Amino acid sequence: MRKNKKNGIVGIIITIIILIVIVMISNTNNGEASFIEKACNAIVMPIQNAFINIKNRVTGNSSFFSDLDTLKAENESLKQANSDLQQQVRELEIIKAENETLKEYANLKDKYTEFTTVPGYVINKDISNYSDNIIINVGSDDGVGKDMTVISDKGLVGHVISVTNNTAKVQTIVDPSSTVSSTISTSKDPIVVKGTLESDKELRATYISTDVNLVQGDNVETSGLGGIYPKGILVGTIKQVVNTKNLVDRYAIVETAVDFNKLETVLVIQQ
Amino acid sequence: MKKALIQIMLFITFIAIYMLQVGFFSNFTIAGVKPNLIVILTLFIGLFAGQNIGTILGMIFGIYIDIVIGKTVGISGVMLGIVGFLGGYFDKNFSKESRIAIIIMVIGSTIIYEIGEYIFNILNYAVTPEINIFSRILLIETIYNVLITIIIYPIFQKVGYRIEENIKGRNILTRYF
Repeated sequence: MRKNKKNGIVGIIITIIILIVIVMISNTNNGEASFIEKACNAIVMPIQNAFINIKNRVTGNSSFFSDLDTLKAENESLKQANSDLQQQVRELEIIKAENETLKEYANLKDKYTEFTTVPGYVINKDISNYSDNIIINVGSDDGVGKDMTVISDKGLVGHVISVTNNTAKVQTIVDPSSTVSSTISTSKDPIVVKGTLESDKELRATYISTDVNLVQGDNVETSGLGGIYPKGILVGTIKQVVNTKNLVDRYAIVETAVDFNKLETVLVIQQ
Repeated sequence: MKKALIQIMLFITFIAIYMLQVGFFSNFTIAGVKPNLIVILTLFIGLFAGQNIGTILGMIFGIYIDIVIGKTVGISGVMLGIVGFLGGYFDKNFSKESRIAIIIMVIGSTIIYEIGEYIFNILNYAVTPEINIFSRILLIETIYNVLITIIIYPIFQKVGYRIEENIKGRNILTRYF
């Protein structure tokens, strides 16, 4: 009996240790995890370098191909110059679009001064893995009402779904049941972004029309349609465009501007 | 009188575990997945305090969660009520001494609870079903719940037998013969 009890305690301690180790391993950053990668590289790289050196000497030594080599080099440099120029053109296009949006933002700023905002703190988070509601410490006594937009200093957070006297329940945009009508800030094309189960940092942009040119890194902002969110609030940036067999089905992954794991202070816009 | 006291104590335990879930386990995650302690608690209440108390307290816990953080009131109440009911059912058919049996019960009730909630979300809020991701999260959550059960069950077992003695009286042994 006594031995049995001892065994039980040892079992519990081992389980606790396993649990802590799993949590630590699963939460380490990518940078730290690449330590193994570095170690592997350190073993293989010198040998690989030696081989490449030998190969270069063998191919570069023959004087017969010297002409060809210079031509090749010239071709390479021209190709490089060409891609540089293309890059510059693209950058200029982006700057042009950005200029337009900045002009618009300047107007929007004047528009936002009409809004009064109520600051609040996040006091409670969802306990479930499958939804992402938060509770903030301002309620109907502070003038917060249902369907009001909640933002933070970085961008859109969500909207109020119910209020008590002192608290308000906010459905965040990363909740799987949340849908936000948005536009791409450079091209002004309409898209719809939905929350996903997969991550607290990513949204899925769907209903993209076939003639839209999606570019990684473009900003996504609210369109003002739908009646809840005002126009021009930053939602996030396009992280990845996923092309499917059928062009109609393609979607993009949008990284939210707000880090919901570290969200502490919010502003409620009183319409 | 004593029964009422025990039920109040169980509700206070629920509040404490809820706080633990919100404060501690939202950061102490396995690959971003939290465990669900409230399902474990409800199952244990059903196991030790009986089917009726398990079902009723489960429903009260669920409705409380729905009011505090959920989108609509009801679904968590129904699902936790089912978990409490299942606890009572398991108590009648299985031994509480066997750890394997307890672990299988936790796996079953976690899966039933989460699938019920997810189906309701899909139907009610037009959530796009993501079966792959859902099953991955559910798998990790179930494993996490099992690990926690292994850690806390010995403590709960002692308290549980005392509760069982107080609620069901001294004639609990009769049903084994």
